[in-house]
Amino acid sequence: MKNQRLLPLILILMVSCTFLSCQDETTTSFTYRAMVPVYLKMSDVRARQIVIEPGQELENPGKIYLYGNFLLINEPQEGIHILDNTNPSSPINLNFIPIQGNVDLAVNNNMLYADNFVDLLVFDIRNVRSIKQVERVKDVFNHMYSNSETGVILTFKDSVITTTSDQRSITNGFFSRDASLSFASNFSGAAQSYGQGGSMARFTLMSGHLYAVDDNSLRVFDVKEPAKPKHLQNIKLGWGIETIFPFQEKLFIGSTRGMHIYDASKPSNPIKMSVFEHLTACDPVVVNKDYAFVTLRSGNTCWNGPNELQVVDIKNLREPKLVKAYPMLNPHGLALTGDHLYIAEGKHGLKSFNVADVMGIDQNQLEFLKSMKSVDIIPGPKSLIVIGPDGVCQFDYSTPGKLKPLSCIDVKNPVAV
Amino acid sequence: MKVRFFILSILILSFTQSFGQEKAYFNQTELGALFGNSGPTWSGEDKKRRDFSVTTFHGVKISKHHVVGLSVGFDQYESLSVIPFAVGWRGFLGKENKPQLIGGFDFGGGSAMFEDTEKTEWYESWYKGGVMVSPSIGVRLPARKGKTSLTMTLAYKRQELGFFTGYFERDNLRPLINSQLLPGYSSMTETSYLFHSLVARMGFMF
Repeated sequence: MKNQRLLPLILILMVSCTFLSCQDETTTSFTYRAMVPVYLKMSDVRARQIVIEPGQELENPGKIYLYGNFLLINEPQEGIHILDNTNPSSPINLNFIPIQGNVDLAVNNNMLYADNFVDLLVFDIRNVRSIKQVERVKDVFNHMYSNSETGVILTFKDSVITTTSDQRSITNGFFSRDASLSFASNFSGAAQSYGQGGSMARFTLMSGHLYAVDDNSLRVFDVKEPAKPKHLQNIKLGWGIETIFPFQEKLFIGSTRGMHIYDASKPSNPIKMSVFEHLTACDPVVVNKDYAFVTLRSGNTCWNGPNELQVVDIKNLREPKLVKAYPMLNPHGLALTGDHLYIAEGKHGLKSFNVADVMGIDQNQLEFLKSMKSVDIIPGPKSLIVIGPDGVCQFDYSTPGKLKPLSCIDVKNPVAV
Repeated sequence: MKVRFFILSILILSFTQSFGQEKAYFNQTELGALFGNSGPTWSGEDKKRRDFSVTTFHGVKISKHHVVGLSVGFDQYESLSVIPFAVGWRGFLGKENKPQLIGGFDFGGGSAMFEDTEKTEWYESWYKGGVMVSPSIGVRLPARKGKTSLTMTLAYKRQELGFFTGYFERDNLRPLINSQLLPGYSSMTETSYLFHSLVARMGFMF
């Protein structure tokens, strides 16, 4: 009996499929990472009141700034974390200033400067438990406007996108490969036309002036009256500007093509002294009286330069000369305190050298902590701050050749090396 | 691993036959062709599929008209080779030693174990197996002597397969939290195939 009922069912299934001529189905989903454009009206951004929030977990730390006993950590495009670092062994997360489009900060006499897309904001942080916004200098980073008349800015959000299509070709399994290729080219196209981090500003303070570099220019602000920054001028620098390092009335500006040296003895009007050019590479710079230490590294985002530490003689600032280059593994950030140089070697670890003899740096390696993967280093008065995949870690470096771990601040989405 | 287990089970079942459980053991082995329509090509015409298929079912009689067991086979879908494996049922309608109608149902999976996985400096790709369902109907024509019968079967076969390509992350970007992108990849292409086929097979059973 059971058979008699089942057989027709099977028959119906088969016949229906055969006669309705079922087609094979192919669905392809592409998942990729891209910078998605986001348009914002600056009037809306300005209308939003900034309310200080309680301390939040670090997600994706950007620039780290030390001010007195405080550690100010930028959360790119989101705002600034403020941590009490009185005891570097256990920093306390105090509060978070939500600032849209923020990538950099600097503190001058208890006044915190932070970019908010095209504007520069000033916060009074004298009492960190009651931070107040005291000033908004409008339209100073106006290169970010996609249309300055309508006040619309264009920003990019790092996103993962999935698209699905129901293409049907299955010939030789080539479909998938073709599709992935075309989509890969879309991806790279997108990356090319939007660029990443082109709007990043980098701040530094020197002689009563705030200097901010973006991708191609140097902006000068007079901050002698700390709560009222005055925008003075923009100086064109050329492309690929990455870092700015102030030293003895000079500005050392690292770009992907080389190092620019500016004389800022007249702080309101820095004048170019020289450019030390090298192959295209990513290159942070640190400087002492006689030498500049520059790291070059290879990598897709930095083109394919060599991995090395270059020592540049800057005794004559108008004619910087390469003294010696030392091969490195994959140097990222670096820090100089006195005669001690610390180099973040990416996934390879952290190295320290005595650089008193610039001709024999390789023979004066003090330590190579292979387990301490790192991308950047900041020498603080109490501790050496190391940023890497483990988060934001602090070391006691009172004995420069022997780092002693103090603490690590957990990060939700740590840097990849 | 699953496939190996299946093949092993079938081997064990085959052995039981030689150890004197002749009455209980049932075997149906058939070969034939898969017919399908892979949809319109670039020129707009439908592209027909016609490929080779073989299957062997090993089962145990649980009653006079019902057999349950395991099946394994080999199906070709254009350039893709699939090993289908399933648990199945066969039912018979009609008197014994006379031509009978056979109904069948198989449910299991298909493995793409014979497809190459590819890994280069830039990407890696592989095929993934998927669910297989196949109802069937056929006739059994018993031989004059012995227990072997000739069989002819028509079946519908629904086979899912997948293809994955992952391009490696090369820029050391920070991974995005809660994203659908697997760590280590800058992009992924996932293709899922669903093949609808009509299968015509001939073979024997005993």
